[in-house]
Amino acid sequence: MKIVLARIDDRLIHGQVATVWSKVTGCQRIIVCDDDVAKDKIRSTLLKQVAPAGIQSHVVDLEKAVRVYENPKYADDKCLLLFTNPTSVLYMVEHGVPITSVNIGGMSFKEGKHQITGAVSVDDKDIDAFKKLNEKGIELEIRKVDTDSKVMLMDVLK
Amino acid sequence: MFGIIVGTHGRFSEELVKSCEMICGEQKNVKAVTLIPGEGPDDVVKKYEVAIKELKENGCDGSVLFLNDLFGGSPYNAACRLVISNEAYGIVTGVSMPMLIEMISAQMADDGSDIKEVMEKAVEAGKNGAQTFHASSVAADDEEDL
Repeated sequence: MKIVLARIDDRLIHGQVATVWSKVTGCQRIIVCDDDVAKDKIRSTLLKQVAPAGIQSHVVDLEKAVRVYENPKYADDKCLLLFTNPTSVLYMVEHGVPITSVNIGGMSFKEGKHQITGAVSVDDKDIDAFKKLNEKGIELEIRKVDTDSKVMLMDVLK
Repeated sequence: MFGIIVGTHGRFSEELVKSCEMICGEQKNVKAVTLIPGEGPDDVVKKYEVAIKELKENGCDGSVLFLNDLFGGSPYNAACRLVISNEAYGIVTGVSMPMLIEMISAQMADDGSDIKEVMEKAVEAGKNGAQTFHASSVAADDEEDL
C-alpha cells in the first residue's frame, strides 16, 4: 500500500476530503481506520456510500488496518488513510506502518477538550499521542485543504 | 486561467461562493454578482464589468465563465449581453455547489483551455451533483479482505 495521505479529521469523509484531497492525492482508496467507527454499522455503511466517483472507501478497525497495509494484494494501491484521533495513528506507527507525515484537518470541540486552532481541539490523550508521534520525527501539520499553508501542530501546542 | 463570475437573484451568489470556500479555501478569482430587488439588467451588466476588470487585474487571461442560477433570468440575460460579443466568454446555468467546486478546481488546473470545454465540464458536474440515497440502495461490501 502506498500511503498518499494520512489525515486526522473526525468528520471523516466530507466535502474537503471528497472533493479536494481525493483529487490532489490521486488516491484509489480511502480507508477509514478507527475501532469505534468500524463497530458502528450505520456510520460505516454510510461512509461507504459517499466515496467520490472512481474511488472505493472502506472502514476497518486498527488491527485490520495494519493487516491491510501488509497485504501484498494492495501493494500498489494509492490509499488515503483517515483517522479520528492521533492515538489511532500512533497505533499504526507502532505496528510498523511507515507514516512520515500527518495532516490534521479537523478535531471537533467536545467537553474536556481545549481548542488550539479554529478547527482543532485536543485533550490530554491526544496531546500525549501527538508528542509521541513528534518524538518519532513525524511531521504534524494542520491544514484544511492543500492550498492552505501548513501550521505545525507542535508550535500551537506549546 | 479563466475567471469565474457567479451571477444570481439576490445574495445566493455571495453565499454560494462563501460555502464553496469552506471546502476549497479562499478564492481570489471567483466573483459574486447579485441582482437585488429594484435593480435591472443594466445594473447587473455594470457589476459584471467591474468583476471582469477585477479578474483581469488579478491575472486572469481574459476568459470568463459566467455561472447563473436561472436560464432566462435577469442575471443570465445580462450576462448574455456581454457573452454575445466575446468568444472567450461562456455561460452555464443551474449553478450549484458541486458545479462551482468543480469549476474552482478546473480553474486551478487551467492553462488556457477552450471556454467551451470548461462549460461542458460545468454541466456534467451539475448533473453528477444530483444523487439519491435510499435505504434500499445500500450495497453489500464485496471485498473480503478490505
